[in-house]
Amino acid sequence: MADTPRPGPPPAQLLRRLRRGLFSSHLDTLITVVLAVVCGSGLWSLLHWALLQADWAVVQDNIRLYFNGNFPVSQIWRSWSWLGLLGVLCILTLMPSRLLPPAMVRLLPLFWVLILPIGLLLLAAGLGFEPVKSRFWGGLQLSLLLTLGTILMALPLGVLLALARRSSLPLLRWLTTGYIELMRGMPLIAVLFFGQLMIPLFLPEGWTFSRVLRAVLSLGFFMAAYMAEDVRGGLQSIPRTQLEAARSLGLSPLLTVALVELPQALRTALPALANQCVASLQNTSLLAYLGLIELLGISRSILANPDYLGRHLEVYLWLALVYWAVCILMTSLARRVERSLKVSDHH
Amino acid sequence: MAVFTTHHPLINEPDSLSPEDTLVSKRPAWRRKLLPILLQAGIGLLVLGAIALLLSNLQINLLRRGLELSFDWLGRPARFPLSRGLLPYQTEDSYAWAFAVGFANSLQVVVVGLILATMLGVIGGAASFSSNWLLRKLATLYVAVARNVPPLLHLLFWYVAVFLGFPAARGSVDALASWLRLPISVEFMALLIGLTVYTGAYIAEVVRGGINSVPRGQWEAARSLGFGEGRTLRLIILPQALRAILPGLNSQYINLAKNSTLAIAVGYSDIFSIANTTFNQTGRAIEAFVLLLGGFLAVNLLISGVMNLLNRLVLQRG
Amino acid sequence: MASSTAPSSQPVSGDQPGDRLSAVPELAVRSQGLDKIFPNGFQALRKVDLAVGKGEVVVIMGPSGSGKSTLIRTFNGLETIQGGHLEVLGYHLDADNNQKVVGKIRRHVGMVFQSFNLFPHLSILENVTLAPVWVQKRDRQTVKKDALALLDHVGIREQAYKYPSQLSGGQQQRVAIARALALSPQLMLFDEPTSALDPEKVKEVLETIRALAAEGMTMVVVTHEVGFAREVADRVVFMDEGMIVEEASPQTFFTDPKEERSQLFLSRIL
Repeated sequence: MADTPRPGPPPAQLLRRLRRGLFSSHLDTLITVVLAVVCGSGLWSLLHWALLQADWAVVQDNIRLYFNGNFPVSQIWRSWSWLGLLGVLCILTLMPSRLLPPAMVRLLPLFWVLILPIGLLLLAAGLGFEPVKSRFWGGLQLSLLLTLGTILMALPLGVLLALARRSSLPLLRWLTTGYIELMRGMPLIAVLFFGQLMIPLFLPEGWTFSRVLRAVLSLGFFMAAYMAEDVRGGLQSIPRTQLEAARSLGLSPLLTVALVELPQALRTALPALANQCVASLQNTSLLAYLGLIELLGISRSILANPDYLGRHLEVYLWLALVYWAVCILMTSLARRVERSLKVSDHH
Repeated sequence: MAVFTTHHPLINEPDSLSPEDTLVSKRPAWRRKLLPILLQAGIGLLVLGAIALLLSNLQINLLRRGLELSFDWLGRPARFPLSRGLLPYQTEDSYAWAFAVGFANSLQVVVVGLILATMLGVIGGAASFSSNWLLRKLATLYVAVARNVPPLLHLLFWYVAVFLGFPAARGSVDALASWLRLPISVEFMALLIGLTVYTGAYIAEVVRGGINSVPRGQWEAARSLGFGEGRTLRLIILPQALRAILPGLNSQYINLAKNSTLAIAVGYSDIFSIANTTFNQTGRAIEAFVLLLGGFLAVNLLISGVMNLLNRLVLQRG
Repeated sequence: MASSTAPSSQPVSGDQPGDRLSAVPELAVRSQGLDKIFPNGFQALRKVDLAVGKGEVVVIMGPSGSGKSTLIRTFNGLETIQGGHLEVLGYHLDADNNQKVVGKIRRHVGMVFQSFNLFPHLSILENVTLAPVWVQKRDRQTVKKDALALLDHVGIREQAYKYPSQLSGGQQQRVAIARALALSPQLMLFDEPTSALDPEKVKEVLETIRALAAEGMTMVVVTHEVGFAREVADRVVFMDEGMIVEEASPQTFFTDPKEERSQLFLSRIL
């Protein structure tokens, strides 16, 4: 499979490679032809539909709804500026770090933590703005807010759960194991259902949380169990000898965890944790069925508008594109972080 | 945090305590054991206290709504319609029977779904090692697209855009149903295809990782024995990769079972949608939730049990 | 002689009366009737009596499984003991394995492992400064200066900002030595420091240890390097089956071993 092509004039070489890649045997040729016909006709009918039959007005006319939801139009710049800030932060993170001042590179993680409170300040109230109730939040902006909130809650909680699951206290170990396994055994929609409809039943009279906060709490408690297992995997991959070295240097158990174990465990768990972050975004779409008008929810209400009757395919393809793009963005952010950490330990 | 005391209960020190310790020294060992016990008692009390507080709130709230915890209502007629499934059901049947029907419907889609998703996943994973350029690229494209779109959108796409949008697709489902003489609904097909396509992409990744874990020398050895590509994969590589694939497969199966609750989006009557309807009709949130959890515990245990059995078989052979 | 590697003579902080048996201990290590039994029932040490004087270099030899590594791992509390008494730098340990005392011992005892055990996520410099900053709570700037001086001393100052995986085994082991020395230990323990090295890297590490010995550091070294033992050791201790079989000066031990088991061992490795 991997032998290098023999040297020759470029066209002949290309022909040889084409032949080896597509037509090396009868079966191979058959597969290639069938696939090419199926893909070609599929692509053709998709293009035909997208350019001639589809009516993209349902997307074009409602861009504001998809991105900002029902945010009051007079205040919409607040919503756009938060999305803009988020975009700038993504670009800064993805840029090669030598193009940035070192102080900036060091502060990037802090910015990522701060972007959530900044978003809440900008969107909700504060800074002397007119308050906007959380039921007016929606669209991609709400999806991203929910995702960020979930990750910022689930990651620290997951680390604590992972440490507690390895504790020498049996009771603590049993409780956390029980919690993690229960959460991982439950479908997310059941957890969200519990969070939206049943949390009020467990609270004293007069206590209420907003729908958005209840959603973040349920998603956070759910994801924390998954992240805990990833962190635990990372902790288990650290050789015993590392702990012996730390102890010989007189590091207390707490310092050993903080300075030696966790940094290595999180590095190992990073790809798995990144997958959980992508899953967190996908999970927010379930809230469309629990009364939140995030990206999918707002699309459902657009589709309910008689003006756009039967435009499902256009909307779903557009949504798939948006979700896909954000997922890919999140994955490449994670790769970037992974690469910048890799410098320190390429074995 | 209270748990970070001088004894560091969050950190394992496996070599610090052994039975011999207690034989030789008396007081310090006794003191060393007291602290963890006190700490655990504290944690236990805290958790119990929190649970008691929540339960008392629940009691108060339920009393105010006139809904004391009980399962008596399970015997009453459910009076809601369900889409046709494997088990017979009429609206005058009891809630208990409705839950049973929902459970059977869930099992049906999960079992068929995991068989199809496994097939799709194995093909997708193996295709990324093919020498055929087109096949390889298509496999990569499939995984990259299917994984990065929420499962719910997969279902909606198949249900609303394909089956409801194209009468021909609808007709072919009906034709399939009458040919197989099975009660196959459009909702079932949409859920099944959506789950299969989404989970298949994850399984393809698991399979690819498993095949990657087989040393390259195995390919070369098989090649030099004169095996073709397909045979090498089937006879030499996949059996070895199975060991690395099975654990990942287990968690994907459980994910598929959990994602089957998204049936609510396409109107398929699975156990979650029964629980949801029951809650809407009776307000019995806690009881419906407990039944749902019980159902899921059963499905998860079933899948894990079967996978453990398979795992043991594979390990025995290897 | 580099001042940074000399044993610290400053008073030990955080001591409580009674922790130390005598104000100025004559011996760095004294073990009496030391027993080590692993949880699986295997007895690794049987009634081991050993004394190491201040400034002395003791080399421990013996076949694998003889308990020599276990013995020095008890000296800084990496292994608990199940019987007997242990006195390290004046701190007293017995079968209750008081973790507070272990913590104090570790601040004054440096340890170098067979597999280096550098922290892969930290740079060379950070590996060396980690414990002084976090355990001794010393000022970062001074620690960094001292650490660079130490790295210079072991000959790898240029690599200070690289990461462990970018260094050869010999270089990594020298960093591990610098890391242990950064705490100004009064006793250094070496657990087969050259066993995991390529043959051509052994010399550079042994040179470093030899230089340390010449500066008067108290050391207990587990090793199979006969040449090193002959040249550097004040005393050779031979162990087998968890017991000390023979103790002698290197000249006597290598030329005229008394015990049959020592003779057998030497005939195999020489």
